Amino acid sequence: MKGNSIYFALLGAVTLACGLADLIVTVSRGVYIWGIVEIPGEMFRGGWGGLVVIFAGLFYLSGSKNVSEIHQLSKVVMGSILIWLMAGCDLLARITESIPGGDEGWFNSIDGFFGTYAPPYTPAMLLLPFSLVVIYHIHKVHPQGQAIEDESTN
Amino acid sequence: MKLTADERWNLIDEISKETVSFGEYHETLIDVIGEITVKPMTGIPVAIAALYAFWSIFSSFAGFFTDGFFVKIFDEYWLPWWQSHFPGVGGWLYYIIVGDPTADNCFEAFGMLTSGLFVAIGIVLPAVLIFYLTLTLLEDVGYLPRLAVLMDAVLHKIGLHGYAIVPTILGLGCNVPGVAATRILETRKERFVMMTLLAIFVPCGAQLGIMNDVIPETMGLVLLYLMIGYFITGFILNKIIPGKSPEILMDVPPLQKPLLSNLALKIWMRMKGFFTDAIPYVLLGVLLVNVLYLVGFIQWLGGALSPVFVHWFGVPEETTGPLIAAFLRKDLAVAQLSVIEMTWYQMVTSVVLVTIYFPCLATFMMLLKEGGKELLGSLAVLIAVVTLFGGLLHLIGILAGVA
Repeated sequence: MKGNSIYFALLGAVTLACGLADLIVTVSRGVYIWGIVEIPGEMFRGGWGGLVVIFAGLFYLSGSKNVSEIHQLSKVVMGSILIWLMAGCDLLARITESIPGGDEGWFNSIDGFFGTYAPPYTPAMLLLPFSLVVIYHIHKVHPQGQAIEDESTN
Repeated sequence: MKLTADERWNLIDEISKETVSFGEYHETLIDVIGEITVKPMTGIPVAIAALYAFWSIFSSFAGFFTDGFFVKIFDEYWLPWWQSHFPGVGGWLYYIIVGDPTADNCFEAFGMLTSGLFVAIGIVLPAVLIFYLTLTLLEDVGYLPRLAVLMDAVLHKIGLHGYAIVPTILGLGCNVPGVAATRILETRKERFVMMTLLAIFVPCGAQLGIMNDVIPETMGLVLLYLMIGYFITGFILNKIIPGKSPEILMDVPPLQKPLLSNLALKIWMRMKGFFTDAIPYVLLGVLLVNVLYLVGFIQWLGGALSPVFVHWFGVPEETTGPLIAAFLRKDLAVAQLSVIEMTWYQMVTSVVLVTIYFPCLATFMMLLKEGGKELLGSLAVLIAVVTLFGGLLHLIGILAGVA
């Protein structure tokens, strides 16, 4: 179980750093692109959204110790839910952007459609696959979603 | 037969022994996650995330239909068709039905069947649909009662309890069901405070849809001003209005998977209200404003109120027209504001003023029905708030160097 705790602590630290980066870029009123990462600088996505990513990081960090205990696990799950919300909203924004054709017609061209899904991605979208590990953890440790007494003492 | 307290408790024990089965309770992960959402330390971040998702989905969905398709349909096909087929170009009937013959978009044409239908179908319909979809989802998942528990302490500061979040959020869809939902509040004081705040500070989904389309960059600032006004006015009303704000016990259901059939039924019932209430009022609103323009009433009123608008509120005198239209439909008024030349801060002030200045006709009728004579009190508060708040916004703008 120690491996799980280290994994979620690391994920928490990275998520927290991403949230802080979101806020810093927003305050500096710019857009930061580095490789496949794009940190948006607008108030809604970068400011409010950055705050949500910070909360996700804090949930991961506070739940990472003794993660198989149900109350700790619930914090880690909540951290993942916040990442799913953020990444889901970013993805929905791309989907709704990719379909209409703008000035060139009713619908986007095939290239334009797929081009919308090309990198760079927001930090929340990049964190999404790593946050999904919690699903495996729930099924592995709590198959029926039931409480397990503090396993570190067993 | 009258039972003593002891006899009553014994009877309860006997009934529960026969009817309730006891066993070992296992706390599930869903239960613990449910707890997280009501404890302030963890619940407030979750609420901030839920509201972020709510607005993000709202703007993506509404923008997809409005900017992606409806703007094109109405500006490239609907408007030119009416402009070229409706007889009597330049006549008063043409002006009322089609609007400006030289306009190249439905925002500027301002005819009943051009701007009126565009606002109702092209902008408001997608906004209201996605609003009710997400609201119903939150309700059926069991999150809304948790938000009520979380907001209880804050809302007590303004003389309300946690369930006041329900009329407030419903009011963000449409103020009419929001006013109806004030029935869940117990005392006359609570209902008065809630109705007054709804009428003044809670913009409806239609208005939010228009704001999202017309002033997306400054919408956050408008909402911030409205939220501050909501709490300050509520706090003052709580202090000056006599009456009680009792504590209540809230039943918080477990978090659960929503049923698709329930979701569909609720959304359909709410959307039906939109089709019967909103569309006729939008068309009627355009008709009335056009007639008032034609007879010169709005120009006269603009001149008469000019000192108040220009010097006290710091907005152009042309905003009088939208303020009159706002009595019928506020979304329409915001659409009208978008074509008036002004600075971004004047636009923020104008949109805030349109929101707080008077409830739309449908809400007004509902307030009359639900509040009766207390409506007069609400209106007195409203006039005072508009005057003070509008002046305050102007002052903030001057101090910040943007007005």
